[in-house]
Amino acid sequence: MAEDDLIERLLGIEPGSPLAALRLQREAIRRHAQGAWRELVLPETPGGVSHAERAALALFVAQRGGDAALIAECRTILATTGTPPAGPRTELLVRYAEMVAEAPECCGQADIDALAAQGMSPQDIVAVTQLIAFVPFQIRLLAGLRAMQEEQAA
Amino acid sequence: MTRFTMEEVSWEPRIPPVEAESATPEQLAALEACPPAQRRSTYFLTLAQDPASLGERGALFNNVMYAARGLPRAERELATTVVSIVNGCIYCTSVHARRFAELTREPAEMQRLLEEGIGTDLSPRRRAIVDFAAKLTAEPGAIGAADLKPLREAGLDDLEVLDLIHSIAMFANANRLMQSLGRSIAP
Repeated sequence: MAEDDLIERLLGIEPGSPLAALRLQREAIRRHAQGAWRELVLPETPGGVSHAERAALALFVAQRGGDAALIAECRTILATTGTPPAGPRTELLVRYAEMVAEAPECCGQADIDALAAQGMSPQDIVAVTQLIAFVPFQIRLLAGLRAMQEEQAA
Repeated sequence: MTRFTMEEVSWEPRIPPVEAESATPEQLAALEACPPAQRRSTYFLTLAQDPASLGERGALFNNVMYAARGLPRAERELATTVVSIVNGCIYCTSVHARRFAELTREPAEMQRLLEEGIGTDLSPRRRAIVDFAAKLTAEPGAIGAADLKPLREAGLDDLEVLDLIHSIAMFANANRLMQSLGRSIAP
């Protein structure tokens, strides 16, 4: 069975439809957008950032972006991973997510050092930053494709 | 005075990049997926700290910016420059403004855009691309079919519109990575 495609599932793009065919003209983009989501949110080896933390951060950024379909998807994933434990580390991660998603130009060395002080390795810091920065990509891809769907329906 | 420039801006990471000589096989494989000209840059070596995400994301980026046919490369560079300006990423703006200038041989046009801002006088096709890039970046929730109309009137076909959406979305990601994991150092 073909791998799930999150974007097409959330938008209800049917196999064989004009938009599905168009996306297949950029098959590598479709495949790697899905692959990035998998590696960021549900990697086989999550390393120093748990699946629960990853799901909670994805949900938080999706909520800030206001995409209802993506929010619902993140809630479903979070229901399977469980929520991360309340505490200073989770609070710090959420504050970092807010900054990277909403005001990345405000980020400074102290913000990165604070993550390291919570025991996060360079790999963990890159992983959470990649995850937080990937959701804004998805939000704009979903919004653009929705506009194309709307155009085709008219 | 604009803060944006086409000159070389450097970028200093806030975490140590991977050293090419001591990189693991996973890190080297992930770097191979990235654009050839940039895979030994400090930025990609920093992202290589997490090879699983870099491998997928690097391949995604490479295809968004360089896949054959569809939206001309110069117009992808125009869109990503505009996204970078809206997001305030000085480093990304400099890189992609320079690529636009090289591809079009119109450095004066890009310099004017950097100095006067994205509202500067442009051809109808470039105007449509710039406006769509700015709006999808700043207000993704407000984008609808009406926003595609100027692109269609300027002659963009379906694949070109899809490529434009991919380019704009990619830089919502790239600008955030670049601004949080390091800082731009102006010339």
